[in-house]
Amino acid sequence: MSLRLFELMLWAAGYTVVISAISIVIGLGIGLLVCAAKLSPNRLLSLPATLFISFFRGVPLLVQLLLIYNLLPAVGISVPSVVAAVVGLSLCTAAYQAENLRGGFNSVPKGLLEAADMVGLTPWQQLKRIRAPIAFRLTLPALVNEAILILKASSLISVVGVIELTRMAQNLAASTYKPLLFYSVAGALYLVICWTVAGGGALAERMARVGRA
Amino acid sequence: MSDTAPLAPRASTAETPEADAAVLVRGVTKRFGDTEVLAGIDLKVPTGATTCLIGPSGSGKSTLLRCIAFLEEATTGTIEIHGDPLGFAEAPDGGRTRLSPQSIRAVRSRIGMVFQQFNLWPHMTALGNVCEALVTVRRMRRSEAEEHGMAQLSRVGLANRAKHYPSELSGGQQQRVAIARALALDPEVMLFDEPTASLDPELTGEVLNVMRDLAGSGMTLLVVTHEIGFAATVGQRIAFLDHGRLLLDGTPREVFGEPRHPRLAQFLETYLDRGAAALV
Amino acid sequence: MSLDFGLMLEKLPEILAGLWVTIWVWVVATALGAALGFLVAAARRYGPPPVDWLLRLLVEILRGTPFLVQLFLLYFGGPFVGLRLEPIPAGLIGLTVYAGAYFSEIFRAGFDAVPRGHVEAAQCVGLSRSQILRRILLPEMTMLVLPQCVNMAILLIKETAILSIITVPEMTMVIGAIGSQQYAFADAMFLLALFYWVLVEICGLLGRIAEARLSKFRFAA
Repeated sequence: MSLRLFELMLWAAGYTVVISAISIVIGLGIGLLVCAAKLSPNRLLSLPATLFISFFRGVPLLVQLLLIYNLLPAVGISVPSVVAAVVGLSLCTAAYQAENLRGGFNSVPKGLLEAADMVGLTPWQQLKRIRAPIAFRLTLPALVNEAILILKASSLISVVGVIELTRMAQNLAASTYKPLLFYSVAGALYLVICWTVAGGGALAERMARVGRA
Repeated sequence: MSDTAPLAPRASTAETPEADAAVLVRGVTKRFGDTEVLAGIDLKVPTGATTCLIGPSGSGKSTLLRCIAFLEEATTGTIEIHGDPLGFAEAPDGGRTRLSPQSIRAVRSRIGMVFQQFNLWPHMTALGNVCEALVTVRRMRRSEAEEHGMAQLSRVGLANRAKHYPSELSGGQQQRVAIARALALDPEVMLFDEPTASLDPELTGEVLNVMRDLAGSGMTLLVVTHEIGFAATVGQRIAFLDHGRLLLDGTPREVFGEPRHPRLAQFLETYLDRGAAALV
Repeated sequence: MSLDFGLMLEKLPEILAGLWVTIWVWVVATALGAALGFLVAAARRYGPPPVDWLLRLLVEILRGTPFLVQLFLLYFGGPFVGLRLEPIPAGLIGLTVYAGAYFSEIFRAGFDAVPRGHVEAAQCVGLSRSQILRRILLPEMTMLVLPQCVNMAILLIKETAILSIITVPEMTMVIGAIGSQQYAFADAMFLLALFYWVLVEICGLLGRIAEARLSKFRFAA
């Protein structure tokens, strides 16, 4: 493989990272809203949230992507494929992150909130000062895990024509007739990315613990 | 000792002066890394009597019991069960030689062990737990094993819970099933590792009563316990361990009576209510 | 909706054939993957250290790369090392190996989750190593890891959709093709999404029922 082709692969890997990161962040925002709706006592909020989570966790990401990619133009919204891809990845990860967050919030020991109640914290203060920080720490490992899942799942957006790492490997494999080489290099780059994120996540977890618990 | 005739009474095999010892512990030390947990223990557990092993937390009493059951390997020293070495045999040069796994299993199967955490197998019923070794180790027919198992469950007053799973039993009932499981193999010695320590106070009575019955029937018991009242009333010998050393070993009257060893007095005051100790 | 349901009805045999491929590939890959995963977990636990390292590396590689890339490597790269596979066998092998890596991690955690004392109790009544594995560790572990296995199985139904990319004629490929023919791809995908949604919800429900019925075999105290 010439240096130039390797540069192309590296560039595509960067693209994969950027698209995944954007999707994770947007997904976290949507996930928080969905989680709040799901935890709400109002069924008008919790029911749609339940359906959202169930649908996006129940349908293969590939089908979601194909659906969104084809549905947007069908209802008169014309966007570049990369936008459709980010929308698809964000909605999918939002459903998973909403469930992770809900698990985190529900795992905060009741006694801690009762103690906060007894010293007079308002419900909002309890959420801000006690529940959210603890839930965040409990959710951190799941968030790192989700980031790795999305990095790998982003390979599927190659199907709707986004030139990310997998698609680049596909194109170069086809034009050079060397699939073994290019798919192996793609795999190795995914490994480097995923292991880096996993290592960073472990570091972040350690830092979240230090001096606080 | 053959595995095939488990229920026949056994004659003592060794005609040594120590023949009346059910368990003989000689020079046992145990080190975990740099920490010395047992610092040279010699202990004779008499046959047909109840010996209670007491001492502060971390004194090494549970470790000693686990060494006797060969769940931990003693760093040095030997263990004998009715004259038969368990795990290691004394070599002529004063060292130890390791015995075969078959020998270890054969000798160990003559010991019944009851754990603090019960350790019932959660995927088997109470009867299933009791019968497991009868079928898989002793090769008994299932029907025969169940008959024998039911008899053991009756002995601990749980015949009516035979078909229940551990998750459906109270802690006290689980521990009684665990005792029945150990009894099913007709052991020569029963070891108890703080059998009531993880039970709610109102459930300890039923377990202690079962143990009292066993002691009354002339079985050899070695009990690690914090229940000083039980030790003082049921125990025929008391061994007091402190910092991995056997400080006292004698009858309850000798051990608990005045003048008390200062370490024992301190232990009784620190760890226990004096009411129980005053029973003696 | 521009999808012609009359026409869809005519295509019903094709759709059912696609559903059948999805289901059997899923069931076979899940079963073989679980078996493979168990063997890997057992080899890592009981084998010599080099076996553990090697398997760990393989598992980490499989878990750290996208399934699609693994599939491409097998299907398009395979012929260059003399491994020429039809789409269905390629998909089946790819999915099984992928599943095996994840299952092995589930079982590894399962081995560790069985309390040490349960094994000690078995040693004390004289069970041999293999008896302890068969009679105590294996059944107890199965109860402990069942929920994760159900999750994994559900994840694998969804992964079968990816097999359409290497032209395995399963549900996604069949319905996608029908949608393209009728210029109603979005509608077809919507229908397909509902299909999977129902399938996954049914599996989830069955899993929860199984879990509830087995809960009494699990440790309570």
